[in-house]
Amino acid sequence: MSAEISITGVGKAFDGRKVLEGVTADIHAAEFVSVLGPSGCGKSTLLRLIAGLIPFEEGAILVNGEVVTAPSAAMGFVFQTSNLLPWLNVRDNLLLGINLDAGAQRLDEAALAELVETLGLTGFEASYPHQLSGGMRHRVAIGQALARNPQILLMDEPFGALDALTRDRLNMELLRLWQRDRKTVVLVTHSISEAVLLSDRVLVMSERPGTIIEDVRIDLPRPRDPSVTREDPAFGDYVVRLSKLMGVA
Amino acid sequence: MTRALFNRDTAISVGFFLLLGLAWEYGVRWSGVQAYLLPPPSAILAELWRSRGPILAQSLVTMTEVFWGFIIAVVLGVPIAALIYFSRTAKRTVYPLFVALQSIPKIGLAPLIVVWFGYGLTSKLIMAFLFAFFPIIISTLGGLASTPAHLEEHFRALRATPLQTFWRLRLPAALPSFLDGCKVAMPLAVIGAVVGEFVGSKDGLGNLILTASGSGHTTLTFAALFAVTVLSLLLFYGVAYWERFIWWRAA
Repeated sequence: MSAEISITGVGKAFDGRKVLEGVTADIHAAEFVSVLGPSGCGKSTLLRLIAGLIPFEEGAILVNGEVVTAPSAAMGFVFQTSNLLPWLNVRDNLLLGINLDAGAQRLDEAALAELVETLGLTGFEASYPHQLSGGMRHRVAIGQALARNPQILLMDEPFGALDALTRDRLNMELLRLWQRDRKTVVLVTHSISEAVLLSDRVLVMSERPGTIIEDVRIDLPRPRDPSVTREDPAFGDYVVRLSKLMGVA
Repeated sequence: MTRALFNRDTAISVGFFLLLGLAWEYGVRWSGVQAYLLPPPSAILAELWRSRGPILAQSLVTMTEVFWGFIIAVVLGVPIAALIYFSRTAKRTVYPLFVALQSIPKIGLAPLIVVWFGYGLTSKLIMAFLFAFFPIIISTLGGLASTPAHLEEHFRALRATPLQTFWRLRLPAALPSFLDGCKVAMPLAVIGAVVGEFVGSKDGLGNLILTASGSGHTTLTFAALFAVTVLSLLLFYGVAYWERFIWWRAA
């Protein structure tokens, strides 16, 4: 099986300072892959390189066999900050990506209602971002990426700023969505348990300049559920192993 | 939630200004200051009522000057600010030019403008425009520059064209700052128009102040000043009214 995202020998420097060096990884279709690393290791930069948001000097990234040079409709990006437009209501924020792209497939009312329902936002279509809780804003942000139905979802610590409880709930919803749609997901996180809970594979990165030091396959049964999966002894083993790799245990 | 017309806060405000008026009234009466130097508020109010016809007519003249001067400042200022924001060349040519022009004391320009454009509406409108123009450019520029970087990146990820990014992101993001600029510019436009009327005019509130004080009619001078203040306040709140349509400024 050829890789959907193929990263070969990628290096990136900002102002002469190396952020990424020799990053090589293959990500396959419908895989859920987490990129785990200490803060400042360049994992968010790596995700932006995959998305075509910033240029890089060394190596190559191919998505669907094509060299990435600019953002493509095949990829949806979910940012760390929920990035909603404060002057648009939930509905218009969800449709922003579609409305900006003349070539994008329109979303009919039924499909939109289903998306809103999936996100647990029914009744809030006309609300503005400042009227929503932090968790809801993140759901809208995810919905905005999903609305365009991208083949690949790139997520940059999407729940990083939320409290643990909300984060757990959103992770569960993300799992449910992924189990239903089977999109390719690349999730950048610094939470070890989040990475284990969600992923098929965890790519562990080193300190800056970041490179992938380990590719850990997570063989936990699916469908997963936070409360059940966390009780699995294998879950704990993975967490310990990744903690050692990260140098925190 | 409905708001009571007279809650504690408004009562405090009203009480304060009432007290201030009373202090003025009785201060003038008891100290024996002559009315042609400082008339008591009661005399000014009486004068306002007596001369309500001319005062209203002159207010309308000044308001027309201010209104058009302000509108032209917005219509020219916003595109010029956008030009300065997007073009490096404009930033190095047009921008320093306007900064230099702003540094010229506009009061000193007034006689020239009257010579060039006559005693009528045009010269006052230009004075109002000159006073209002710069704050509108600066606030629009500041607003455009304050577009959050993470939203710009988001628009790039959504593959928005530069034009879409301008209309749908930068312009709405600039609105709160632009409106602040308008709130500064509006009272300045009033000052501009009145200065223009001082230097050379046939009518307007500035003209009324000039002729009233020239003929020793201090009470009418105060009444006209009062009218300028009310006009300025009304126009200011006319601008501030639009704030409710940019509720996202705090978000």
